[in-house]
Amino acid sequence: MMESLFYMAGFVAFTATVLSLSRTNATHALIYLIISLLAVAVMFYLMGAPFAAALEIVVYAGAIMVLFVFVIMMLNLGQAGEQRERQWLAPRIWIVPTLLALILLVEMALAITQISGTTSGVEVTPKEVGLTLFGPYLLAVEIASMLLLAGLVGAYHLGRRSIDRSRQS
Amino acid sequence: MNLAAMQGLLPLLVLGLGAAVLMLQISIRRQLGWSYAITVATLLLGAAAMEPAMQVAPLQVTPLLRVDNLGLFFGSLFCLSGAVTAVISRDYLRSREGENEEYFLLLLLSTLGAVILAYSTHVAALLLGLELLSVALYALIAYPERGTLPLEAAIKYLVLSGAASATLLFGFALIYAALGSLEYAEIAVQISAGRAATSPALILMGAAMVFAGLGFKLSVVPFHMWTPDVYEGAPAPISGFLAGVSKGAVFIAVLRWFLESGFFQYSSLLAGITLLSIASILVGNLLALLQTNVKRILAYSSIAHLGYLLIVLVAAGVSPEPGLAVEAGGYYVVAYVITTLAAFSLLGLISRQSGDREYDQLSDLAGLFWKQPGLAALFTVALLSLAGIPLTAGFIGKFYLISAGVDAALWGLLAALVIGSAIGIFYYLRIIYTMTTVGEQANPGTTADMLVGSRLVVYLLIFAMLYLGIVPEPLMGYLRTIL
Repeated sequence: MMESLFYMAGFVAFTATVLSLSRTNATHALIYLIISLLAVAVMFYLMGAPFAAALEIVVYAGAIMVLFVFVIMMLNLGQAGEQRERQWLAPRIWIVPTLLALILLVEMALAITQISGTTSGVEVTPKEVGLTLFGPYLLAVEIASMLLLAGLVGAYHLGRRSIDRSRQS
Repeated sequence: MNLAAMQGLLPLLVLGLGAAVLMLQISIRRQLGWSYAITVATLLLGAAAMEPAMQVAPLQVTPLLRVDNLGLFFGSLFCLSGAVTAVISRDYLRSREGENEEYFLLLLLSTLGAVILAYSTHVAALLLGLELLSVALYALIAYPERGTLPLEAAIKYLVLSGAASATLLFGFALIYAALGSLEYAEIAVQISAGRAATSPALILMGAAMVFAGLGFKLSVVPFHMWTPDVYEGAPAPISGFLAGVSKGAVFIAVLRWFLESGFFQYSSLLAGITLLSIASILVGNLLALLQTNVKRILAYSSIAHLGYLLIVLVAAGVSPEPGLAVEAGGYYVVAYVITTLAAFSLLGLISRQSGDREYDQLSDLAGLFWKQPGLAALFTVALLSLAGIPLTAGFIGKFYLISAGVDAALWGLLAALVIGSAIGIFYYLRIIYTMTTVGEQANPGTTADMLVGSRLVVYLLIFAMLYLGIVPEPLMGYLRTIL
């Protein structure tokens, strides 16, 4: 039972990714990409990694994708943009993503209420993740902090460059 | 983590602390001189911290890193190379206004990544080190505020490097699926325990993907497409760092990965590496013949040199006693890093007042011998060393490689090495010839305003290349004791 739920989530992830790649409209592609990330989160959950599943939703489907959508929408300001937006988000566009998301919702509901156990046989709780990260992998956390610093400083420098340019013009 | 572990990690701690101090300094008051001084001091201290760390080596610190002589030696080599890059960059940045303090911060972080790579004995450490090295480099490549060439180079590097990291991760995931471990030593145990036999295809595929991902960073043919464009677009000191330190660090990581996780028993993997090596040597050298841009020539030459270095991997895998091959690899990396830094340092130094463009065309070097003899001498020694002419570090490195290859009876690879070196001599000598011609040249050409630090570094690099070529015995003996 658990396995069949897992493969169904895998199928949803695969379908959503293929649809996302084949859309010509960036907004539609993003909607499918979000579905794909949600499906991957469900797969993580079924495998017994609820923490990874939550991160997948919070970080990828949540923060990063919302940022994407904002940027795309912000590029289309004005009356014409509004018109185009309404056209993009026409109801029939939502049918397939809603269906895919519904499958995931039903799966989640089943997994939480009806079935216990995981496909991998082990459950990794958030507590265990924390203990590992700040136990044997403490140095990895430290190195990752340096990595973030490098990314931040680099982004600051490159971003400043484009701000300067827009001020000049 | 106890005191011994702290002592072992001292080089990393020094670099991390230096980065934090530098960041605070920039946020309190922007002053290029201070940033420069902190960076160079940190890197030199990081190199010197090898001494106390060596007293506790070998020591495994958490599953991620191991403090041993190999890692410490190359870690300090990368620190020193970072310091050389910083000194050259100071001269290079003088005429390029803007907020240049972050440049040094990124350079420090990038060096930290390289040192972590030299220490890593776990897939997670390898990946984090690699990403730290690369992420800082993306920004450094795109650092110049004017011109689109650096941006183009950075985006090329970013996209392709991201794809390479994804390939690498996927490979590790396959190996993890088959063996259930991410630690090198544990992987070796699992392979020798016969657990690999249940899914050989998975492991082989994983190992091939890992090698492809790392091969991109090493710019081995056919993953080399980005190299000339990125080197051409990046500021000259950063091209040197990219070619020398980044490749050297990744090679050391690859060497460790292969030696410690027991992948040498897969003969098809070795056959693949042999093919890549021959292709790199021939393609790199042949394409270098067609270039008129010195940075592109050096880029193709670095592709060829990495092809030579891959011989070490094959030799270590084939021969029952990998000691000689590893030793040859160590020596070659040292010689290659120093020589590459020297060659790109020259390009950085002659471009120090060139404004938006760099003097990197072959014609820009015309008459350099008569106008800036000291720099021309540096470049000549570096080119001779790259070509493998006796009395330079490159010659001994190549000699070492050939003896390791003969020891393992790799005749095909050796033939490629000889042919490649013969082609190489032509384009290296062509640059030297151009420097001696008396021609019209755009380069204002005076060494009078060079900073003291840069002068010192130029002399040091010339000395190091000649010393390693004339008296190789001390380094050889040292490498023999630590490997």
